Amino acid sequence: MQGHHRGKKVLRNSSEVALRSIAVFLMSVFFLLFFAVPIGIAFIGSFHQWNPLKQQFDFLGMRNWNRIFANGLFWHSMKNTFVFAMIAVFFRVILGLILAHVLHSKLIKHKSVYRTLYYLPTITPMVAVAFVWKFIFDPRIGLLNRLLNSDINWLYDGRYALAAMLILTIWKDFGYAVVILLGGLYSLPTECFEAAEIDGANSWQRFTRLTLPLLRPMVLFVIIVSLISYFQAYIPVMVLTQGGPGTQTYLVTYLIYKEAFSKYNFGYASALSFIVFVFIAILTAVTFKISGKNVPF
Amino acid sequence: MKVKKALVMTFLLTFMLSFTICNNTLAQEMPSDLIGNIIQYDPSVPLNNGEDITVELWYWTGAANLFESLATKYMAIHPNVTIRLVENPWDDYWTKLPLALQGSDGPAIFNIHNSHHENLIGYLAPYDIPVGDLEAEFTGVSGHLIDGKIYYTDYGLMTGTVYYNTDMWAAAGLTKADIPTTWDEFREVAKRLTIRKDGKLIQAGYSYNGGIQGDVLGMNYQYGQNLFTWDNKISLNNDAMNMVIQRLKDMYEKDGVCDYNFGNNAGDNFGQGLVAMYLGWGFMTNVFGQNFPNTPFECFEIPTPTNDIPYAFHRYNGESTFGVNKNAPADQQSIAQDIILFFLANDAIQKEFCLVNAVFPMKVTLQDDDELLSIPSVAILKDHIDRYIWPGPMPSTVEDNIKIALENIFYNNEDITKALTMAEKAINEDLEYSDFTSQEPMYKYASEAKK
Repeated sequence: MQGHHRGKKVLRNSSEVALRSIAVFLMSVFFLLFFAVPIGIAFIGSFHQWNPLKQQFDFLGMRNWNRIFANGLFWHSMKNTFVFAMIAVFFRVILGLILAHVLHSKLIKHKSVYRTLYYLPTITPMVAVAFVWKFIFDPRIGLLNRLLNSDINWLYDGRYALAAMLILTIWKDFGYAVVILLGGLYSLPTECFEAAEIDGANSWQRFTRLTLPLLRPMVLFVIIVSLISYFQAYIPVMVLTQGGPGTQTYLVTYLIYKEAFSKYNFGYASALSFIVFVFIAILTAVTFKISGKNVPF
Repeated sequence: MKVKKALVMTFLLTFMLSFTICNNTLAQEMPSDLIGNIIQYDPSVPLNNGEDITVELWYWTGAANLFESLATKYMAIHPNVTIRLVENPWDDYWTKLPLALQGSDGPAIFNIHNSHHENLIGYLAPYDIPVGDLEAEFTGVSGHLIDGKIYYTDYGLMTGTVYYNTDMWAAAGLTKADIPTTWDEFREVAKRLTIRKDGKLIQAGYSYNGGIQGDVLGMNYQYGQNLFTWDNKISLNNDAMNMVIQRLKDMYEKDGVCDYNFGNNAGDNFGQGLVAMYLGWGFMTNVFGQNFPNTPFECFEIPTPTNDIPYAFHRYNGESTFGVNKNAPADQQSIAQDIILFFLANDAIQKEFCLVNAVFPMKVTLQDDDELLSIPSVAILKDHIDRYIWPGPMPSTVEDNIKIALENIFYNNEDITKALTMAEKAINEDLEYSDFTSQEPMYKYASEAKK
């Protein structure tokens, strides 16, 4: 009898069943109302000339979709978004890994102070941070040019504008990776490391042969969460460059914003959003495939 | 009998006396003097049968005092009317307002900016004021006629003018006589105002860093070139626009009056005392006054290619009068129409709105007003106010795409023709989905435009 119930959670009484049903029902309603229905409407809207502000909803067939694929700005924005996301994820993970490892080491004192300092930019509102960095990047009075003794117009020079957005984003977000990966490091089994030390493994070997493989699920978690977040990055463009100079820093989410809230072309913006949605889904699947399994979510 | 007679007399006297007092009070609360000349407002006409009523007036952040002043003056005349003021930030305003207007509980009256014409026009009720009266008292009404009706018009006109720092001007040995009227003269003056130390730019003679799209879209008129074709397509890749942009490039690259790394906001840099001349719209008068009160400045009219009167000096844009919500309940719409009549008939209120926004008054009776003409950016328009053109409520795609084109030209070294062709194509694709109609054919001198 006991074996029959193994692996199944036995519900204790009818009130627990009721509570579970209510919770599932409310979650389903919430999901339907705020996710499934809007996504469905947006999908239908992507086949229309849709401006809710003037109650316009005219069927266009595939015209929005065809326009997107024929639009050079879309491809340019996608390329920028891809480059932006890859570089930002890379540095977020690498910096996070290095600093988490350093903080995990026994040599560092006052760890909570460093943890707090690294995490502070993450909890600061992005808009506020972006405005501060706008001053830092100013070619005349900006701190960055003074520190580097340079004369770079960070936000209006096509060679540097995307890099400037990346600097801001990485600075703002690396703390998140530090905290997550540090948590991961603390959860690793100490016996393995003690055994490796007894066997004569040096610290580099312990890091590459033990820490990294054991930490892989957490790293993958950070990568996927970062990818999703950076494919939706929008505030740095809005505050720092507005897509410029020209269209050099257009990211696809900014393009969606311009179509939806500047031109009120919600149909076209919805079609763009679906493309981004599918792209993120594919990229996430590929990341899973490449990295294997064992993601803690 | 005598007692009875005395009582009746006393009652009658008391009644007459109280009626007189009451009448006097009413007369004080309801002034009987008509306001206005052709468009007239009669404050003694009771509203909503004297019953209490509340209407909402929506406006965007920036000039709350103006709307409070209007509401206070109006409610003083009509104590039974309560105007509830609702303020929204600019960006939110343009999404919240059209959605609110779709129902019956949206604001009865609201502030309008013509850049959002397309999203609002479907919700507007036409003004009750006869069009002839509006045309007699306000300039530019004809540009707002839709099927013979007016849904909103302009109370003030704003355009691009050149702001110059008077201290820098004097330090360069320049006087009022040196104020340039042609672009060649302007370039010479800009050179004189430029200061370099060891080859490094210290003071820019003229800067357009951070965006000049609002002005480039308008300089074409100086060459007789309209922005739109007869079928409402934009025309950017033409000789006029090429010349305008090439001149701007040359000022930096040949004359060296500024460079693209000398700050990213020419307006702020002017206020900070780094730039001697700046081409900006009329509202910058107030921006400089508020943010940079220690920067001394004057204005002059935008230069032209030659000293001949051009087809148009520049384009203008209007500060719009209020809109009435056609979906609001009839009694609220009636009050909204009455507020608009009060607003348009009242010279003092018109003047207050023009002063605060530093705009040239569209009301004819105010066009010689000394106080308004003391605003530098307003005064310079007086002589050729009829030589400014309104292209119509241009959709945002026009300014967005010319901004991209100009940044590609100035910052990314893209060929002018190529950049303009791309912008033209992108705008015309968007215009296919727009109801935009150019108002250029309505311009007084439209026949002088290049064919």
